[in-house]
Amino acid sequence: MPELTYREAVRDALSRAMREDDDVFIMGEDIAEMGGSMGVTQGMLDEFGAERVRNTPISEMAIVGTGIGAAMQGMRPVVEIMYQDFLTLSMEQLVNQAAKHRTMSGGQLKVPLTIRTQGGAGWSPGAQHAQQFESWFVHVPGLKVVFPSTPEDVRGLLWSAIYDDNPVVFFEHRLLYPLKGEVPDELEPIPFGKARIMREGADVTVIAIGRMVPEALQAAEEAEALGISVEVLDPRTLLPLDEEAIIASVQKTNRCVTAHEAVTRGGFGAELTAVVQHGAFDHLDAPIERVGAKFGPLAFAPAMEQWAVPHAADVLEAVKRTVARA
Amino acid sequence: MATEVKLPRLGQGMESGTIVKWLKGEGDAVKKREPLYELDTDKVTQEVEAEADGVLLKILIDSGEVDVGKTVAFIGAEGESLSDADAPESDRRGDEQTEETEEPAVEEEDEAETEGSSAPAMDDERRRGQEAAAATAAAASPNLDSGEARIKASPLARRLAREKGIEISELSGSGPEGRIVAEDVERFEIAAPAATPIAAAVGEVEEIQLTSTRKTIARRLTEAWQAPVFQLTISADMTRANELRERLVERLAEGETKPTVSDLLTKVAAAALVRHPAVNAHFTGESIRRFPVAHVGIAVAAPNGLVVPVLRDADRRTIQELAAARADVVTRARGGKLQRADLEDGTFTISNLGMYGIEQFVAVLNPPQAAILAVGATVETPVAREGGVVVRPLMSLTLTCDHRAIDGADGAEFLRTVKELLEEPALAL
Repeated sequence: MPELTYREAVRDALSRAMREDDDVFIMGEDIAEMGGSMGVTQGMLDEFGAERVRNTPISEMAIVGTGIGAAMQGMRPVVEIMYQDFLTLSMEQLVNQAAKHRTMSGGQLKVPLTIRTQGGAGWSPGAQHAQQFESWFVHVPGLKVVFPSTPEDVRGLLWSAIYDDNPVVFFEHRLLYPLKGEVPDELEPIPFGKARIMREGADVTVIAIGRMVPEALQAAEEAEALGISVEVLDPRTLLPLDEEAIIASVQKTNRCVTAHEAVTRGGFGAELTAVVQHGAFDHLDAPIERVGAKFGPLAFAPAMEQWAVPHAADVLEAVKRTVARA
Repeated sequence: MATEVKLPRLGQGMESGTIVKWLKGEGDAVKKREPLYELDTDKVTQEVEAEADGVLLKILIDSGEVDVGKTVAFIGAEGESLSDADAPESDRRGDEQTEETEEPAVEEEDEAETEGSSAPAMDDERRRGQEAAAATAAAASPNLDSGEARIKASPLARRLAREKGIEISELSGSGPEGRIVAEDVERFEIAAPAATPIAAAVGEVEEIQLTSTRKTIARRLTEAWQAPVFQLTISADMTRANELRERLVERLAEGETKPTVSDLLTKVAAAALVRHPAVNAHFTGESIRRFPVAHVGIAVAAPNGLVVPVLRDADRRTIQELAAARADVVTRARGGKLQRADLEDGTFTISNLGMYGIEQFVAVLNPPQAAILAVGATVETPVAREGGVVVRPLMSLTLTCDHRAIDGADGAEFLRTVKELLEEPALAL
């Protein structure tokens, strides 16, 4: 099996779709000559030309809006929002337009649009370039929300996003781009709504997304040395959510920790917690613990940034609390 | 706000302890690190120190067995009264302590538990009951047993208890803040006696409540009994060993402890153990751990039951040093003053019943140690020597070996060395 970085895996999915299908094109700020601010689309201009690898003006509202229009006209556009912080500027198009047209038209229209974006702390980008907003979009009916954590998953899920007939907000994490991992020779689409058990365990389930998946796996290693067996589950798609797998896991382990880099308050962990308490209420032996960033705008100062966002150590502490004795 | 005094976990695996007596009374001033009460754990009795300065406001549990983490008293400021917020829930197993004011609320809690359909009505009822209880309590301040009667239990623990027909109120919680967790239900189920009523017998039956030490002995020996063991027996001629002991006693300085045959044996066994590390070992289930030094445990009959204090580095100490160390731990064992550290890290155990005239016996393993030596009395015995019969002081030694860790030949070689060293003690040097 070949090994790709997370960044290469994104590019591979885009390129394969564009080779096979003329309806697929990409659009975003500086994605052509520059290859994207994170280098994801490097080389694609040369292969596919300026018609299909399109630079846009600095207007997120226009980027998403034109994407919606193209999608409704039968294309399968993949638009890039350079930082997910800038999704705020496209909210009207995403929430009121992209998410609504299919139902409001009684199914006569569909919006097969993929909105790729990235973000995350860990390299000192400050308060406006490092936020994690996945939970905002999980609250909007009509959207789908994906947040893969491995090269294999990002490739297979991006393919599925492109070929989904609904708008998909596709989150990538800045710190995951250099992460390497094996991928199948042939691109295998990964269906939405299927969680992946990243590691099996018996004592506590950690439901982690994005960067917190590798952090949770590290915490699980450390917990094992303490005699605590940790199961790590990555839902991979937040909307739709594989509630069945999550509930089954917690019913097995009787304890649950949620982990994401976004601030804890109102974060996706709250939704996971609600799912777990309802589906596994009689199986819970400890309060569900939530791990997330501290509730404040991120500082530029690296030490303060590292203090604010969660790491493996925070997951481990939460795991220990769930199995704690007074 | 008063500080809760919670029963501490003094060692790995400790789940409960028995409060023997309080060293401070209610109203006494206490300083941080000052001894507060005596606690009997599964291993030792020791003094527990206060964790805060102030006044001992209230002792909740005067004596008896308490789970780890339970609030046993409050320390606060002089003149401070305890609010309901400080009052812990009913959380103690065993002895009576629930005040009458609490009972109505508890019963309603139980009904609410079983009759889910009428829950909202019961909730109101319960709230009223609690308010009434709280009001009564406020009048009779300070009353710590009143207040919130809701029993904290995890949903899983509640479901398991329901399925097993166990009343949640019968359980005591080991989770954070005394929460009942699944493990508590499982442990209760194991501990609960079979409910077979036996007709009252004629005459007085003395029922002795198990102390923590006794329970630990029961549990550990039951575990040990499951190990596949074999025994090896040998007799040693103690003529020279006795001579050596007499010589040591003669040269004793003022105030020094008189060495006994047991001390000699400890020294000899330790010397043999470092020569035969296969026997100086732990069997952990995952691995066999062989030790380069011999920490020899000696079984001591203490008032609360058997304890095995450890004489550390026995192979590197003189007989005189071992005698002094032995005298110290035996005295403290009989007075219930051993510390946990006195009982830890043993690599081998010697059990000597010779002083009772027992000629030979088999000792039960002291896990995770892989072997234990049972020592009988030294008996004048006719022995055949060079075609004639002579009388010699013989002592029997029976080695019990965990066959998972030790093979017959290893045990036999060790025992042969012990015999040789007892018969020719100079070789132990």
